[in-house]
Amino acid sequence: MNEILQYTVQGLAAGSFYALAALGLAIIFGVLGVVNFAHGACYMLGAVTAAVLLDLVGMNFWVALLVVPVLMFVFGVLLERLLVSRLTALDPLYNFLLTFGLSLLLVDLVKRQYGVSGLPYTRPEILTGQLSVGDVRLPTYQVFVLVFSLLVCLGVWLLMTRTRIGMIVRASTEKSELTRALGVDVSRWVTPVFGFGIALAGLAGVLAAPFRAITADMGSSFIIILFAVVVIGGLGSIVGAVVAGFLVGLVEAFGQAYAPTLSQIVIFVLMAVVILIRPAGLFGREENA
Amino acid sequence: MLEIRGLDAFYGEAQALHAVDITVGEGEVVTLVGRNGAGKTTLLRSIMGLHRDVRGSVTLAGKDLTRTPAHQRARLGLGWVQDDRGIYASLNVEENLTLPPVTHVDSAWSLRQVYDAFPVLADRRRAPGTTLSGGEQQMLAVARVLRTGARVLLLDEPSEGLAPVIVQRIRDIVLEVKQRGSTVLLVEQNVAFAASVADRHYVLAEGTVAADLDNAEFTARQGELLEYLGM
Amino acid sequence: MSSKRLVATAVVSSAALLLSACGSGGPGGGDGEFTDGKVTLAVLNDQSGVYKDLSGPNSVKAVEMAVADFQEKYGDDAVVEEVEVVSADHQNKPDIANTKAQELYDREGADIILDVPTSSAALAVATQAAEQQKLYINIGAGTTELTNGQCNKYTFHWAYDTYQLAQTTGTAIAEAGGTDWQIIYPDYAFGQDMDKSFTAAVEGAGGTVGDHIATPFPNDNFTTFLTKAASAEPDVIGAMQAGGDLINLVKQYNEGGYADDGIDLAVGLMFITDIHSLGVEAFEGVQFAEAWYWNLDEENRAWADRFLDETGTRPSFAHAANYSAALQYLEAVQAEGTDDADTVVGHLEGKEIDDVFLKNGKVRAEDHRVIHDVYLAKVKSPDAVEEEWDYEEIVSTIPAEDAFMPLEDSSCSMG
Repeated sequence: MNEILQYTVQGLAAGSFYALAALGLAIIFGVLGVVNFAHGACYMLGAVTAAVLLDLVGMNFWVALLVVPVLMFVFGVLLERLLVSRLTALDPLYNFLLTFGLSLLLVDLVKRQYGVSGLPYTRPEILTGQLSVGDVRLPTYQVFVLVFSLLVCLGVWLLMTRTRIGMIVRASTEKSELTRALGVDVSRWVTPVFGFGIALAGLAGVLAAPFRAITADMGSSFIIILFAVVVIGGLGSIVGAVVAGFLVGLVEAFGQAYAPTLSQIVIFVLMAVVILIRPAGLFGREENA
Repeated sequence: MLEIRGLDAFYGEAQALHAVDITVGEGEVVTLVGRNGAGKTTLLRSIMGLHRDVRGSVTLAGKDLTRTPAHQRARLGLGWVQDDRGIYASLNVEENLTLPPVTHVDSAWSLRQVYDAFPVLADRRRAPGTTLSGGEQQMLAVARVLRTGARVLLLDEPSEGLAPVIVQRIRDIVLEVKQRGSTVLLVEQNVAFAASVADRHYVLAEGTVAADLDNAEFTARQGELLEYLGM
Repeated sequence: MSSKRLVATAVVSSAALLLSACGSGGPGGGDGEFTDGKVTLAVLNDQSGVYKDLSGPNSVKAVEMAVADFQEKYGDDAVVEEVEVVSADHQNKPDIANTKAQELYDREGADIILDVPTSSAALAVATQAAEQQKLYINIGAGTTELTNGQCNKYTFHWAYDTYQLAQTTGTAIAEAGGTDWQIIYPDYAFGQDMDKSFTAAVEGAGGTVGDHIATPFPNDNFTTFLTKAASAEPDVIGAMQAGGDLINLVKQYNEGGYADDGIDLAVGLMFITDIHSLGVEAFEGVQFAEAWYWNLDEENRAWADRFLDETGTRPSFAHAANYSAALQYLEAVQAEGTDDADTVVGHLEGKEIDDVFLKNGKVRAEDHRVIHDVYLAKVKSPDAVEEEWDYEEIVSTIPAEDAFMPLEDSSCSMG
């Protein structure tokens, strides 16, 4: 019983990384129609930036949690203005290839600069140790990751549902052309939305820094799972990305517990089943698929 | 008010519109009738700036729109109601109404006016847009552009697929809009409906304007037209 | 589409390469004492992936140091004037390793291939070496198969192997009282091999191994595996992961607070570059097998200082082993006056060697296992670290004769 609770928390904590990053991926896809293959590299960049800032200027985890997403936002804005925007008028495949190439470039640049063994990172003292719930002990950091990312997802959800910006993002995600024809300048929102999506990936990276190996390759397998997450949730569906993120985390944890060698295959089996039953994903709309 | 001159539209190699000339005067209600595939929807999309593969000119109140992007055209006073009504599933009824920015304050309907005119929308204001019935969605789509104060409404088959009583209601709305001084370009296949609201009619065939009729001529030749349209 | 032209170009250029290879690598090359009038050493390893830092480009530097030392030592008396060092990236994939090895032997005229981490890749290269009748000295790979079922005349195993790792760490910890084990291993050839070797070593020292938990590779989330292993309340969790996976596992082991419950972590294979990247705090007290340590004595330190000048970093045991293997190969060539593979192999077989890497070293003729003294090391506490890279305390030395698989247990027969 204790183990079940632990597996659940571990699954949800692992799912937190997927949910945050997939949220960014889904928003970018929704508004720009761009499948950002560089999302895993941006997750890696978030973690590496946090580690480098700790090393260079002693920036602690809490400050990094704010500063790194801002830096990643700026990075995303530059990326969109300088590269992505030049290809959006063409077949979406071009931007897919662009971001794919970009991810290879970023990974190799980080390898060149910082090697492959990974970078050290110290987590704040307060997040070390375990919390006791009854006679179950849960690592403080995992609980923190879970709560923090739930709050971020909630914040993004409020932004999406309670603000005019959110309304415009939802509208252009659903019907981009009509939204323009109704007088909304969608292109004005494209750049900040891209930056925001990248910032979310960077935030997931900072959260991963104390907990996972910070290496140039850390995003390479992450992005593959992330694609499974957005397909399961429904491409472009914001709620779907979050729910599927946590779901995949749980499936992974229980897979590891009861069928260790199959734990990653199980995720793709889940994806296949979802596609068979609901081709547009759990929360996708058929007309968008 | 709205002038289209020598408009050619293309889909790759295929030409969908050939040198179309259309004029809609201020306060006029003008219909475009024609068979499926005659180019009616392409014409509206070209006017809106959504179909970019075009030659020729579109002028609104003396201003050339040829190089203006779609969202600017909307802000200059074009209100488009697309043929599938274009209601957002991820927005509730009120969000559907308030998404487009108000462009002409003097002619814009307030939210209150909209709800007074369409009480059903007020009742369902928090419901997701696509949970409304087809007729309600059509009202929502029309109300949405009325709220912006658009000077020229481009309505793409507003009566399509609706029960007669609802069609009647739509007709009333168009007439009311006309009474308030708005200009309407209406795409219709329902000849009776067209005759009951419009001042003039263009018959579109194979991408060209085949006839330009006033309402009296149109009504007189209704039988011939029905046969031509295959109804 | 332009892709058609691309394919055409690729076909033409690879055909051209094939032709040039036929021209230069033909059978007429073996008339003198030196093929092509020079000796070519090739380093085939991971130049860009997970094993880049622990060996990679810096091993190429180490081999170049060996060449420089050789040339300085013999000067005009050297039997061969030109010694070339080439390198290639096998990306840890056996198919790429196979192709690259063939290219190196055939086209680049390599007389010997060094390193090749990842067991499956090393086995592929060993097969190539046997077919081409050229030397291969393995350093980076840990599989005992190279000196057992898949041994051959042209392949030597220089630095470490899974048997020795288990013999060092597993036996030492079990004998010190850590008898109840759980093993977490990556589910591929190396991990399975490590699991078997450690189980044998622990059981041989009177301990028991409960669960053997296989994990995907690569993997960034070990929390559930650790919970599962800890639920059996063992004395020790043995982690057989390497590189980034190991760092993930150790971070999450620390996060879970298992040390406070008295569950120790034993690491199957660790390199000093891992400690450097994660920091001493994270690994404090972890015991592991070390094949060579740069700060062990004056001789090692002097060489490590030179290495630092060359590369800007301290050497791992793999760097030192690459240096040693290259140097001893060149010494053999010098002694015999030829780069003829059979002659050099004959010279090396049974040779006793002491150099900066090999202490009490001996090349066993029967299975080509190179035995030497190895160490049980312990990661220092942060307070005890006196300079950068000063991370290890040597707990004990395991003599060459005890550290490696006894000859009578080897299934190798040189055909």
